[in-house]
Amino acid sequence: MDFALTEDQETIRKAVRELAAKFDDQYWMEKDAAHEFPTEFYKAFADGGWLGITTPEEYGGHGFGITEASLLLEEVAASGAGMNGASSMHLSIFGMHPVIVHGSQEMKRENLPRIVSGDLHVCFGVTEPGAGLDTTRITTFARRDGSDYVVNGRKVWISKAVESEKVLLLTRTAKFEDSPKKTDGLTLFFTDLDRDHVDIRPIRKMGRNAVTSNELFIDDLRIPAEHRVGEEGKGFTYILDGLNPERMLVAAEALGIGRAALRLAVRYGNEREVFGRPIGMNQGLQFPLADSLARLDGAELVLRKATWLYDHGKPCAREANTAKYLCADAGFQAADRALQTHGGMGYSEEYHVSRYFREARLTRIAPLSQEMVLNFLGEHVLGLPRSY
Amino acid sequence: MQWKLSEEQEAYQKTFRGWLADVAPSDRVRRWLDAGDASAFESRFIADGWAGVGLTEKLGGQGGGLVELALTAEELARAAAPSASWLATVLAVTALAGHPKLVEAALAGETVSLLVPAEAVPDRAPSLSVDAEGMVTGTAARVLAGDIATRFVVPVGAGGVRELRLVEAAAPGVSRTARRLLDRSRSVADVTLHQVPSVRLDVDAVDVLWQASAMAAVLVAADSLGATERVLDLAVEYSKQRHQFGFPIGSFQAVKHAAAAILVSVEAARSVVYFAAASVDGGAPQALLHAAAVKAQVTADGVRGADSALTIHGAIGYTWEHDLHLFFKRAKLDERLFGAPVVWNERIAEGLALI
Ligand SMILES: Cc1cc2nc3c(=O)[nH]c(=O)nc-3n(C[C@H](O)[C@H](O)[C@H](O)COP(=O)(O)OP(=O)(O)OC[C@H]3O[C@@H](n4cnc5c(N)ncnc54)[C@H](O)[C@@H]3O)c2cc1C
Repeated sequence: MDFALTEDQETIRKAVRELAAKFDDQYWMEKDAAHEFPTEFYKAFADGGWLGITTPEEYGGHGFGITEASLLLEEVAASGAGMNGASSMHLSIFGMHPVIVHGSQEMKRENLPRIVSGDLHVCFGVTEPGAGLDTTRITTFARRDGSDYVVNGRKVWISKAVESEKVLLLTRTAKFEDSPKKTDGLTLFFTDLDRDHVDIRPIRKMGRNAVTSNELFIDDLRIPAEHRVGEEGKGFTYILDGLNPERMLVAAEALGIGRAALRLAVRYGNEREVFGRPIGMNQGLQFPLADSLARLDGAELVLRKATWLYDHGKPCAREANTAKYLCADAGFQAADRALQTHGGMGYSEEYHVSRYFREARLTRIAPLSQEMVLNFLGEHVLGLPRSY
Repeated sequence: MQWKLSEEQEAYQKTFRGWLADVAPSDRVRRWLDAGDASAFESRFIADGWAGVGLTEKLGGQGGGLVELALTAEELARAAAPSASWLATVLAVTALAGHPKLVEAALAGETVSLLVPAEAVPDRAPSLSVDAEGMVTGTAARVLAGDIATRFVVPVGAGGVRELRLVEAAAPGVSRTARRLLDRSRSVADVTLHQVPSVRLDVDAVDVLWQASAMAAVLVAADSLGATERVLDLAVEYSKQRHQFGFPIGSFQAVKHAAAAILVSVEAARSVVYFAAASVDGGAPQALLHAAAVKAQVTADGVRGADSALTIHGAIGYTWEHDLHLFFKRAKLDERLFGAPVVWNERIAEGLALI
C-alpha cells in the first residue's frame, strides 16, 4: 500500500495552488456579489493548460486521470475560490467524458481542442422541473425531422448556460411510456445553445453566484444528427459512465471548501481575543475545529482511494459514493463551524466564511443528494431492497 | 396557565424523596437488585402508604392523578429503586374499576399486571384467545412484573370485540419464566396461559388500553427524567472532585459543556413530561400525541445523557462499584420500555398529515 502522491501529482497540486492563490478572497467576494463570471480566473487556468487535464493528448489535453483532476478542483476550491471557481471550469475538466468516449471523431476534433484552450464554454442540461434525481422522467423531446432533430422542452438549474456556447443536452427520443425499459429512449446531444430557440433565465439562488444556474425554455431547437452523441436511445448509459467521476470531483470540491473554511477559522481563532485570550483557546471552539480536521482527513482518504480505483480501471462506485457523502458532510460542517468561530463577523461577507457556507451547502444537494448516496449504498452495496 | 407544581405536589415530592433517601440508599438498593428480590422494598412502600398516591378515590386510591404518578416515577428512578410492581399495577388497575376488593388487594401488594410484552405499546400489543367457556390461551413474552404478579389483566379478541379478562397467576395452566434484564431495578417474565379460567372485566377495553398506553409513555419518560437528573448530579460532582493536569476535569470546557447539555435535556424533559401528564389526565384531544412526543424525546435524550455522563466519569464510571451504571441501565431500559422512540415517533407521524 502506498499513500504517496506521484511526483506529477505533487507538481500539479503545487502549481494549481500557486496559480489559484493569485485570486484572493476579495476577488471571489466581488465576483460573487456582482454575479459576474470569473473570466480572469478562468483565463488564467485555460492559459496554464489546466482545462485539458483529462482530455486525451491527441486533442490537445494532458490525458491525466481523475486523481489529477480531483487534485486540481480540490486545490481550486481550497484556495477560497470555492464552488465559484470550481464550477467555472468543472465541465471542461471532465464533463466532456461522454463525448470523448462515445462522440464521433469529427465532434471531438472540432470541440475538444477548443475546450482545452478555454475558448469553448459548455454546460450540461439534464435536470428538469419534473425530473430531478429521477432522471429517466425527463420529458424534453427530440423529434426526428429528416436529418435533424427538433427539440422542445424545459430544463432547470443548468449551470453556466448564460456563459456557454454549447450544451450537452439529454433528451427523450422515445417517451417514457413507449420505452421498454425506463432507461431506454434517452438521447444525448452536444450542440449549440441557439439563443433564438432557447430562452435562458438565471435562477436567483443562495450562493455560488459568480456562475449562473438557469432555466432553459427550449422551443423548436433544430439539432443536426451529427450533434448526436453515440447512438439514439442510449444517452442514459453514456451519462452513467460519468457518474462516478462526477461524484469524486464534487467530493474534491467539497473537501477543498472545507479546507478553506478551516484555514480561516484557525486564523481567526488565533487572532481574535475575547476575555483576554485568543478564542481558539476555548475547547468549545477548538474541539469542533479539530473534529472537522479529522473528518476532512478521513473523507479525503476515501476520495483518494476512489480516484485511485477509477484510474486503475477497478470498480469504484461504492468508494465514489462514499467519498461524495463524507466530503460533502465534512466540508459543510467545517464551513458551519468556521462561521460559528467567527461569531457575528461570520455573518458578514467581509470574512468570507459565509460565502463558503453557502457554497458548501450545495454539495449536499447537487449533482446528487446525500439521500441518493444512501439509497445507492443501501441497495447496491448492502443488498437491501430498493426503498423507492 | 400555571406552569408549576401545586404546593401539595411539591410537598409530596419532598416527602417522598426524603423517604426514599431513608429507606432506599444505594447500598441497600444494590443489595435488593443483586439478590433479585425487591419484596422488602415493595412491602415497605405499601406499608408507608405510597401505593395509592395518584389513583382516584373513586377507584380506591388516595386521590391525585398522573402528575402525582409521574412525580413518583421520577423519584423512584432517582433512587434506582425497584419499581416493576408499582408501575405494572398503576397501569393495570383501572381495568379493575368496579371491583373495589381487587383494587384494594392490588394496592396492598398483590401486584396486577397487563399481560402484554414490556417492549410493546399496550394498545397495540397482540391479544390472547379466549374460548366460549372463558378459558384463555396464549403467550406474552417479557411481561412487566410478570414474575411477581398475583393477577393478570389479559387483552383478548380483536378490534371492536376486544375485551379484558382477569386471570389468577396461581391458576392451573399458567406458567412463567423470569427473564433477566440489564437493568435489574425492573423485572419481566414470559407468561404462557393454557386453558386458564378467566373473568370478564366490565370495562371498555379499548379505552383502558389507550389510557394505559398514554400513562405508560408519560411514566416511563418521567422515570428517564429522574435517572438523567441523577447521572447529571453524579457527573457534576465527579468533575469537581477528579483532578487531571492540575485542574478539576470540570474546568475543561468540553466536560463543562457536556454537563450543560445534559442539564438542557433535563429541563426540557421536566417541562414536557409534566405537561403531558396534565394533558393525559385532562383528556385533552391531543393527549396521546403529547405522551408520544414525550416518550420518544425524553427517553432518547435520557440515553444520550447517561452516555455522556459515563464519558465524563472516564473509566471509573465503567466499574460495578460506582453507582453510575444503575442509572445508565435504568435510562437504557426506559428507552425501550413500552415502545422505543421509533415506535412512538411512528404514532406521531400517524397523527400528522403525511403520506
Ligand atoms: C446550484 C445548482 C446547480 C446545478 N447545476 C446543474 C446543471 O448544471 N445541470 C443539471 O442538469 N442540473 C443541475 N442542478 C440540478 C441538480 O442536479 C438537482 O438539483 C439534483 O439532482 C436534485 O434534484 P432536485 O433538486 O429536483 O431534487 P428532487 O429529485 O426533487 O429531490 C428532492 C428531495 O427529495 C429527496 N429524494 C428524492 N428521491 C428520493 C429517494 N428515492 N429516496 C430518498 N430521498 C429522495 C432528495 O434527496 C431531496 O432531498 C443544479 C442544482 C443546483 C442547486
